[in-house]
Amino acid sequence: MDSFLDPTRRHFLRGSALGLGALALGDVLGAQEAGALPHFAPRARRVIYLFQSGGPSQLETFDYKPLLNAKNGEQLPESVRRGQRLTGMSGNQSSLPLAGSLFRFAQHGASRAWVSELLPHTARIVDELCFVKSMHTNAINHDPAITFFCTGAEMAGRPSMGAWLSYGLGSANRNLPAFVVLVTQKPVDQPLYARLWGSGFLPSGHQGVQLLAGPSPVLYLANPAGVSPLARRRMLDAAAKLNQEQLEREGDPEILTRMAQAELAYRMQVSVPEASDVRDEPDEVFELYGPDSRAPGTYAHNCLLARRLAERGVRFVQLFHPGWDHHGGLPAGMRGLCKETDQASAALVVDLKRRGLLDDTLVVWGGEFGRTNYSQGKLTADDYGRDHHPRCFTTWLAGAGVRAGTTHGATDEYGYNLLEPETDGVHVHDLHATLLHLLGIEHTRLVYRFQGRDFRLTDVAGRVVNELLA
Amino acid sequence: MAQRVGHRVEFDLRDENESAGILGGVLPGLVLFLGALATPQGPPDFQREVRPILAEHCFACHGPDEGQRKAKLRLDTFAGATAEREGGAALVPGRAAESALLARVASDDPEECMPPPKSGKARLTEAEQATLARWIAAGARYDVHWAFVAPQKAPLPVVERAAWCRDELDRYVLARIEAAGLAPSAEAEPALLLRRVTLDLTGLPPTLMELDEFLEEHARDPQGAYRRALERLLASPHFGERVASDWLDLARYADTYGYQSDVYRRVWPWRDWVIDAFNRNLAYDQFVTWQLAGDLVADATREQKLATAFNRLHRQTNEGGSVEAEFRAEYVADRVNTFGTAFLGLTLECARCHDHKYDPLATREYYALSAFFDRGDECGLYSHFTDATPTPTLALPTEEQELASATARGALERLEAELAALPEARTSEFERWLASAPRPPAPQPVARYAFDALADNHFENALDPAHPGEIYEGPQLVPGHSGNALRFSGDNGALLPGAGEFAHWQPFAFSLWLRVPERKERAVILRRSRAWTDAGSQGYQLLLEEGCLSFALIHFWPGDAIAIRTRGEFPLGRWVHVAASYDGSARAAGLALYVEGVRAPWSVVRDHLVKPITGGDPGPLALAERFRDTGLAGGEIDELSVFARALSDFDVAQLAAAPEAAPSFGELARAAQRAHYFLAVDPAAAELRTRLTAARHELADALAAVPEIMTMADDAPARATYVLRRGRYDDPDRAHPLEAGTPNALPPLPDGVPHDRLALARWLTDGRHPLTARVAVNRFWQMLFGRGLVETAENFGVQGTPPANPELLDALAVDFVAGGWDVKALLTRIVTSATYRQGSRTTPALAEHDPANQLLARYPARRLSAEQVRDQALAASGLLCTTIGGPSVKPWQPPGLWSISAAGDYVPDEGEARHRRSLYTFWKRTVPPPNLTLFDAARREVCVARRGSTNTPQQALVLLNDPQFVEAAGALALRVLTEAQDEDERLTRVFRRLTGRAPNASELVELRALDLDEREGFVVAPTDAAALLTSTGLALPEGALAADWAALTAVASTVLSLDASVTLR
Repeated sequence: MDSFLDPTRRHFLRGSALGLGALALGDVLGAQEAGALPHFAPRARRVIYLFQSGGPSQLETFDYKPLLNAKNGEQLPESVRRGQRLTGMSGNQSSLPLAGSLFRFAQHGASRAWVSELLPHTARIVDELCFVKSMHTNAINHDPAITFFCTGAEMAGRPSMGAWLSYGLGSANRNLPAFVVLVTQKPVDQPLYARLWGSGFLPSGHQGVQLLAGPSPVLYLANPAGVSPLARRRMLDAAAKLNQEQLEREGDPEILTRMAQAELAYRMQVSVPEASDVRDEPDEVFELYGPDSRAPGTYAHNCLLARRLAERGVRFVQLFHPGWDHHGGLPAGMRGLCKETDQASAALVVDLKRRGLLDDTLVVWGGEFGRTNYSQGKLTADDYGRDHHPRCFTTWLAGAGVRAGTTHGATDEYGYNLLEPETDGVHVHDLHATLLHLLGIEHTRLVYRFQGRDFRLTDVAGRVVNELLA
Repeated sequence: MAQRVGHRVEFDLRDENESAGILGGVLPGLVLFLGALATPQGPPDFQREVRPILAEHCFACHGPDEGQRKAKLRLDTFAGATAEREGGAALVPGRAAESALLARVASDDPEECMPPPKSGKARLTEAEQATLARWIAAGARYDVHWAFVAPQKAPLPVVERAAWCRDELDRYVLARIEAAGLAPSAEAEPALLLRRVTLDLTGLPPTLMELDEFLEEHARDPQGAYRRALERLLASPHFGERVASDWLDLARYADTYGYQSDVYRRVWPWRDWVIDAFNRNLAYDQFVTWQLAGDLVADATREQKLATAFNRLHRQTNEGGSVEAEFRAEYVADRVNTFGTAFLGLTLECARCHDHKYDPLATREYYALSAFFDRGDECGLYSHFTDATPTPTLALPTEEQELASATARGALERLEAELAALPEARTSEFERWLASAPRPPAPQPVARYAFDALADNHFENALDPAHPGEIYEGPQLVPGHSGNALRFSGDNGALLPGAGEFAHWQPFAFSLWLRVPERKERAVILRRSRAWTDAGSQGYQLLLEEGCLSFALIHFWPGDAIAIRTRGEFPLGRWVHVAASYDGSARAAGLALYVEGVRAPWSVVRDHLVKPITGGDPGPLALAERFRDTGLAGGEIDELSVFARALSDFDVAQLAAAPEAAPSFGELARAAQRAHYFLAVDPAAAELRTRLTAARHELADALAAVPEIMTMADDAPARATYVLRRGRYDDPDRAHPLEAGTPNALPPLPDGVPHDRLALARWLTDGRHPLTARVAVNRFWQMLFGRGLVETAENFGVQGTPPANPELLDALAVDFVAGGWDVKALLTRIVTSATYRQGSRTTPALAEHDPANQLLARYPARRLSAEQVRDQALAASGLLCTTIGGPSVKPWQPPGLWSISAAGDYVPDEGEARHRRSLYTFWKRTVPPPNLTLFDAARREVCVARRGSTNTPQQALVLLNDPQFVEAAGALALRVLTEAQDEDERLTRVFRRLTGRAPNASELVELRALDLDEREGFVVAPTDAAALLTSTGLALPEGALAADWAALTAVASTVLSLDASVTLR
């Protein structure tokens, strides 16, 4: 118990609202609110989600389809498409020419996993990864699809994954938020937005806290110019005494909570900059994550921050790296995006492992949907585009409780449909259920009553994909 | 019924021998407290005790949802639960031991027990089982859910402390307080009372002068002082701003569309209407009726139509490639859901995909309701390339604009009348000309393309060699109707720069030869338009649609456009002459289509064009392709001419005929000869037409300048309504068309009127409606007490929280209707009550017996709303700009937040816009202002009837570090520095402005100590004081010491963060 709180608490316990006082303090310490959790022993204590926003092409990364090269330029057969809907972007094209990947694939590691030449660093860690090649989703446009991935629903207003975890498990570090969001700073076409890490109908304290590059990594964290830590300390001490007066006057336990939150804010002013200041990292760490990792706002820097936050007990760190929406100019786009992300993604897994953190940290890599096997726009010898494709794409998981060095699910030889949709398909709800399972949460029992109904991250669906679990 | 049951509570509690089983509706804590009074033998109340158990544990599988019902057993109706079944009925009234339900819920056998373990539902407690047993033993009576029965006023309960009551409502409150053996709290101290009611009714704190006057007056005449304060507050224009804040949450009001692009939209005039409506106390039934159906009211005014923007404030998307029908279905659903939450307090949205699991709302009833909201001529996507307002729209001209367009319209109408009269007046000229046996020449085009040869991807424009046409993506030159023609792939096209750049006030026409290989569901022949849905089709276009030819001029499809479509299918596989003509009138009657030289019978598809068709950078006239549209795959085009005038039938006949088969003018019918003469020959008509075009131009410019807003109108061609299975836009149950209607569990729609939104509004605001008034008074109660009498203000259904005081809720609802839905009267009544005026202190007795304050034996202290927190700081500091209404403003926010949104940077406003009230802060849905959302402001993505109230560390950071709050603290310090010389007086003024009350002696000691310590610090570190001053942008008056100011600023900042400031007590 914080020394500051002690006298107040003793005073308060002499009062009559013992139960409420204890509850308020529980809140302050970030304890979970959702009943007895975890439901069973967790494999993962925390999650780092490397969200690749825009929909990375599975066909240029992990899902090797030589048939597309053999049939390059031929029409997508109706027997493969089966009348499934397309977006309005390529749906009005007069032809849908199959497009083979321009990039070479090779098998790597003991697991012999296929990885394209665009991801040399990821290729070196395939034996740590569990590839899910049978991901699928409902939505075909970015906004509904990314909202679905991040909140389990296409419509707005539902809590995000991290908010659910904050609500369910609370924070393991009372000086840091339970749910931190890191967005790569770069100009993009496909925007991101606070809804993706919002708290929906959960109490707003569960929303993700975006860590920003710059002097005030959390909004309003820095004291105003000219207000020294000492001056601030005096203010807080005076506020504590004045609030104490008010507490005696009003007898309202909420006052106690407010006092404690002000103190937590004060501690965050130290703990957040400490966590986000990478200057104490040795050079070899920067070398591991790549040269970008020294530059705040880059994906590599954010990967490094993610490790530091994981070390400090943050439950859920979600990175967003936008720019994967390659409707046209895909080869050049993929070269760029893979270069921005490959080394740091792999480095994060390596770094967690050597620090012993990978045993109880789950790492997830993936986007909101995949891309079509046919070219959007003109297919030429060295250029093509791919439209959104919700029916199959690849995600990988690593770390706590995951079957390393394996691949789950497969697509047909055209890379258009799942080979075994009934048995192997992993829907977004299934991924969420599995993620919660690894954290010791039975997904059907993490609920919140809103509008008279118990809501879940997995809505009324979701299957724990045991095949992914070690 | 609820009120009767509740009423019995009062009397039961007076007589300890009576059963108190009916106490179950009161919170568990209270039940425990009253345990000694209760005897367990009496029949439990179905509404309060039994149904909640059944709903929680059973209804998900055995409730109203037919689709999910297990074992064909339903337990939400008496008939269902008592039906004969193999193994015995679930319920046997009067015989608990024989009722299968009880056996199943008591069973330990995992195969037998209910709810089944895998359902995740909790087992029934022994107490719950006992309740069910007693209920069955007493006959298992089912009652209709209280909220579906019209409210009635219960007799006033008898109370001991009748003198405490100021209003009938106090009696209802007091009865429960006394029944719990408690007493109400004394009235709050006057200063806090004035602060409370001022913030509650205006959202702003009282000024020092208002406080002083009130205190002085209160000492003499407490009642009069309070009454006069209320009069002042209700007359304040800030009243409307305060009440509007809550309404904006329900209306999901925002300055941007939402979804990912989240572009600006101009909807603030609706927000200003709401403020004004509250300020002039528009009766609530009218307030609701106008917003739902103001456009359908007889002789609807502009204001009434404006109110209907309420239904268009949902999110909208323009994301490329989105399916229009999918999102239009979303918009309609959002309107229905909002209608349910805001007016009915029902979770209609549950019934979108399946029958409601708890309330009697079937999916077909959901879609029957949706039919009311699905009659507007709208598109599921707004325009990416233009700033067209999505239709239907309402023009909001200024007075000058109104005058300008009226003048232009008058001039135009006079010229049109003149032109119409001309043939009559100049009959003799026509006859004379006809007598000369004229052979009128073919019409003269402004551009002509033969498509006979390509050079470097260009082809000749015979009339303007400087502007050749250009192919792109490789259309082929093939043998054509005459010489060569262009054949298109569907993905390629041709651009015709310099030709065809027409506005909708100009006449123009096209003639071409077209060969189409097969029936086209949709194909672009010719267009001047940037894109299809991505530009709202703005421009003009000649298409093949469902096999037929169509011609349209469009500002925003479908609501601001004129369009015709041929009734016959277009001939396939051969060369066919096509002409399209437009007379510049902005009417569908001015469009004409010709196939093979003669008018093709057509239907008018749209006839409402107001705004320009040339926005959004349409580029040149182009053939056979358009961005994200379907091209003319396999089609061929030849011999295209562009005309800068309309064509007559004779013109087209000439253009379509082979040279050797030219039609003879003399053989034409008289009417056709006459039409051609006055279109193409008569000099007076030509002169008049020139003036007419100028007048059309003038009117078009006048109308183009007028801003619009999205509103409701039932102006679309009739749409059939179906259940969308599982809510999917592309899976309608076409076998069962639905009529617009209301749910069966609620009263029927009025007879003898069309079932439109106006009928729906009349139905809703009928005084006998069980929900409307209850839901409304509950929200106003929530506004004043922080929590509604029904805590779940958004859900009055079976799973909602039962009312804490049903008699009170019903009395308020009944009186609200009887009093003419008078909002100010309702609020006055509540804030005048003794209940509202109590002090907020939580005594040990209250903390023990009613910790959640269900009984209201004290005022329920609560944190100020997000808007109030900021507005109070601005008002106390004197920075607040009190301008009402207008476009939203952008006060300072941390830089860079919009960078994730691809929306460009957030550029903070300068000047007083920085200090406007928070309800005017620009609301960007995807990146809302953080200092408001951190204080639980609703996100405005969907309708919200109740905000959370959290207490987080980030709130402390905002209060102490947000430059807006630091500036306010600095300005407040500056203010007291100049107002008073005495330091205690300065400190007291800071404290009073933010907390309403004066600091007590020990608080003043603390403030003094802080002030002194901070001053010492700033004296030692003068650069800190200077840095603080610079950061606030404030300037000190001559002679003032920076350290004095900085210390006071630190004090003000500290006080800003105190419970006493951020909490309403």
